[in-house]
Amino acid sequence: MSAMSDRARRMREMRECMHVGPKLQAYLDGEVDDATVERVAAHLEYCRKCGLELAAYRAIKHALGQRQQPADDALARLRSFGEQLAATGPEPPADA
Amino acid sequence: MDQSAAAADERAQAAFARYVLPEIEVLYRVALSITAQPADAEDLVQDTLLRAYRAVERFDGTHARAWLLTILRNTEINRHRRRRPDLLDDPDAQLERHEGRGPFSAPAPGPEELVVEQVFDKVVDEALAALPVKHRQVVQLVDIDGLTYAEAATLLEVPEGTVMSRLHRARKRIRDRLAAAGLAPTRSGR
Repeated sequence: MSAMSDRARRMREMRECMHVGPKLQAYLDGEVDDATVERVAAHLEYCRKCGLELAAYRAIKHALGQRQQPADDALARLRSFGEQLAATGPEPPADA
Repeated sequence: MDQSAAAADERAQAAFARYVLPEIEVLYRVALSITAQPADAEDLVQDTLLRAYRAVERFDGTHARAWLLTILRNTEINRHRRRRPDLLDDPDAQLERHEGRGPFSAPAPGPEELVVEQVFDKVVDEALAALPVKHRQVVQLVDIDGLTYAEAATLLEVPEGTVMSRLHRARKRIRDRLAAAGLAPTRSGR
């Protein structure tokens, strides 16, 4: 391969980095269209820099996702309240 | 109670069971993200469920979660209308001020015997706590509570693009803090 075509390929890859980089987070969140999914995935096959970037965001998202479990007792009370509404409607006022 | 009132109650109860009960956990998670105290979150969800019950007969059955998030949001605003117009503020100026202070200083490294994952989680927790409240809320709603960008936008009454930009900037702050602690590769102009 000539030096010229090698340079052209590197330029293309850099342009692709600039296009894909800002979309990595939305890609991770599943918030991009199918064409963008394909384009990002194709770029990640050869671009180590974007691959590391995505891995960092994926690790952050994973750490955050495990962060908060709602208190079981509060959730159980709310479910029971909801099930009571679904079964009998709201309680009438005490003086009704 | 006459027959038509009894039939209306039955319809409301059936619709409530179908559309609202499956969303209670998400509503509670979201409430935890937008209130200061767990007890406030529980009260907020209870009020939201009552309002949803009263409105469910008029609900058309599409996008139940978005409908419930709107009720939850309005309930929260009514509860705190006088003292906390917080959800409606624009936070970007606040973030700019944060960023104007220069890079975060690296947090003190954890004891060596801690595994890397625990240190990583700790830095993420610290970075999340250091975010301006509006940015932290979006991270909580999407990454912790599991809302889509559109659902978070409905809840916060902002465009989806605003949710996206706040979320992405917030994660970049977290990522920068991890990089300062040597737990993520340094970023080159992105």
